Amino acid sequence: MILRPGSFCVYFRNPDNLLISLMSDAVPSIDPSPVRPEVPAKTFSPEDEVAMRESLKRCSAATVEAAVQFRRTRDPGVLPTIVLGVIERFVESELRPKLREGDDDLRLVEDLGVDSLTMMEIVMLVEEVLQMQTNNDELRNLRTVGDVKTFIDCKVRGLPLPKPTRFLPVEQVASIMPIQPPFLFINEAQIGSAGAQGKYKITGQEFFLQGHFKDNPVLPASIMLEALGQLAVLFLLEGSQAEPGKRVDPSRILFTSCEGVRCHRICRPGDTLSLSVRPRRVKMPLATFEGSIRVGQEKAAVAEEITLTFAYVDEVGGEFAPRESSAGSAARPRDVSGGQPPLGAASVAAS
Amino acid sequence: MFRPSAVRCDRAYIMSRIFVTGVGFITSIGNDRDSVVQSLRELRHGMLRYPPFDKPEVPVKVAAPVRGFAVDSSDPEDWTYPADYRLKREVLRSLCPNALYAYCAMQQAIRDARLAEGEVSNEETGLYAASGGSPVILGRLLNQMSQQGVMRCPPLGIVASIAGTVQFNLVAHFKIKGASCGFSSACASSSHALGFAFDDLKLGRQKRMFVVGAEDGNVETILPFAGMRALSLNPDPETASRPFDVARDGFVGTGGATVLVLETEDEVLRRGVTPYCEVAGWGQASDGHNVAISHPEGHGLRLAMQRSLQSTRIAAADVDYVNAHATSTPIGDVSEVKALRAVFGPDLNRVAVSSTKALTGHGLSLAGAMESGFCALALREGFIPGSAHITRLDPECAGMNIPRETQSVAPHVVLNNSSGFGGANVCLVFRRA
Repeated sequence: MILRPGSFCVYFRNPDNLLISLMSDAVPSIDPSPVRPEVPAKTFSPEDEVAMRESLKRCSAATVEAAVQFRRTRDPGVLPTIVLGVIERFVESELRPKLREGDDDLRLVEDLGVDSLTMMEIVMLVEEVLQMQTNNDELRNLRTVGDVKTFIDCKVRGLPLPKPTRFLPVEQVASIMPIQPPFLFINEAQIGSAGAQGKYKITGQEFFLQGHFKDNPVLPASIMLEALGQLAVLFLLEGSQAEPGKRVDPSRILFTSCEGVRCHRICRPGDTLSLSVRPRRVKMPLATFEGSIRVGQEKAAVAEEITLTFAYVDEVGGEFAPRESSAGSAARPRDVSGGQPPLGAASVAAS
Repeated sequence: MFRPSAVRCDRAYIMSRIFVTGVGFITSIGNDRDSVVQSLRELRHGMLRYPPFDKPEVPVKVAAPVRGFAVDSSDPEDWTYPADYRLKREVLRSLCPNALYAYCAMQQAIRDARLAEGEVSNEETGLYAASGGSPVILGRLLNQMSQQGVMRCPPLGIVASIAGTVQFNLVAHFKIKGASCGFSSACASSSHALGFAFDDLKLGRQKRMFVVGAEDGNVETILPFAGMRALSLNPDPETASRPFDVARDGFVGTGGATVLVLETEDEVLRRGVTPYCEVAGWGQASDGHNVAISHPEGHGLRLAMQRSLQSTRIAAADVDYVNAHATSTPIGDVSEVKALRAVFGPDLNRVAVSSTKALTGHGLSLAGAMESGFCALALREGFIPGSAHITRLDPECAGMNIPRETQSVAPHVVLNNSSGFGGANVCLVFRRA
């Protein structure tokens, strides 16, 4: 299944004026029409309401009201407010402004200081408020705020859970990608249902830095865009939901266009780029992403749109061997594409 | 044939002296060193009519709770505590009341010993603790488990409640990297902790040890002793705890925490700090008699005192003051008096003996460390705490030197006795630095 066309970010404003992107943003396979709660809605007695308000007493008023509304109406539209409100309650106050920026890529551990025990507390409070139950193994894959929102949404709607966020070390990235060193600009990546994050450390040994610039190595802007494009390729191959029996053909992904590219910071050897892409539309033959690069907490570059073309190929019995058997072979894409390596996602982008 | 001729020992370690360089107190008689000194000098007690006991079905009326803390709520974020301390939610969530007291006392002790962050957190610095855990939190946890289901219990309920909770929390939050352990011998627990901390320093295993004693001192830690008939039923806070008085009828419960910093001589010299006193040594022995009642002749405690004096090569005649275990129970106090007579013989009439439990109440696992802290204060400040609330001395104590008021006399050698369930007895020896 692929994303429904036009499933753009849906935004709404909660009473705290928080701009929150709703779950349906870039989450594949969510069909909002049939609401099938996992646990049938129980009656919500005044005593239940008192108990719930007590449980949520350290959450914002908006969170409490959203929770009351949810228990009365089972309206999934209020879920983001509830989930964010509960997370906010467990985050140290000095880190809360980060949460209010509404970035679903915020990492629970690294960015918000939420350890696994706090995660348990968050989930237990959400379970109590939403009258749902979760299993331990379902929680292990929740790494970002977006993961939590998606997870709760799927649980409440009775939908299958999205593929868990996966961490890919450099060897695995290289074995999957049609692009290879010395032109691969992803050292490690994390692929979730809502997008991909990657890291690239500028070593100073990159061949193009010898001339860009003379005695003054600066990562070319075109390479930044290339790195984002490569991460989008990785997402298409590993994170997107293909049609049944099909998969994305790594030899047929090519760069098409980009819009709204802005660079904010000079990146030099020693800097580690934190790359992030999120799909906005994925419908064969086009996939459009938004992307951003940070170095530490500093914004380095943004691309409002990076569009790739791609094509599917049959999963089984086609020209491809089963994916598992080729894992670890960096030469796989080259072999199957007749010795003609693809150019790579964004290698033709202008600097 | 085995010839034990080549036993090697490192004399440098054995000769090394151990000092108390810092103290911290959250007690019923004061939440800092200076107010504790004042209470000891003026014999101000910490007892009151404890509101949770104010029910017809509870015959016990007096307790000596910690002041300045409100920690009854099941939600630690509702707790209030003195403004000098600031704890984050992630720290609070795994604390029970006594671990919070210990956390505060630890901060005082670190400041008092003038320890920098790196001197607290390193491989040469350890922490030994004693606390009975937190029955109130364990009770809530088990209730929640049976009523709301096993997966709806607070994730940190266990580490906040079981015995060991104090060192789990302090070691993690103060980033202790050396030895850490909890000691459980009931009312002798924190004396054991101090004794073994001394040994580790003496053996060169560590350079610095924190010793912690702590108890909740609430309904759940105190009232279970009522069934044993160990608590005073005297409703008057002025006389409920009166060790060595003929009318004593049981102990008064208390809670809080005390932290002592022990350091080797090398560390004391290197850092240029003035110690409170030297820890000269210790000894222990068991009664082998009854699970809860001390030996009527005080055999175990006598042996513990004798061993502590032997190990320190101090003659009984050189002891100036004994901080007795005496909890104000009819049997326990007499048994200790007999042990003292056996150890000191005719010298007993010139050794000052007092029980500061007349002021503080009995702190159970806290007692040994708290009273060691009092001994350290007495040695540095130059006083001998009086034994309060005695109207008529028990005839069993005839001929003993039990000061009724605090004396401005500087002791040189001080013993601190502790006895716990199972007949565990510990005697610690402190000497003027």
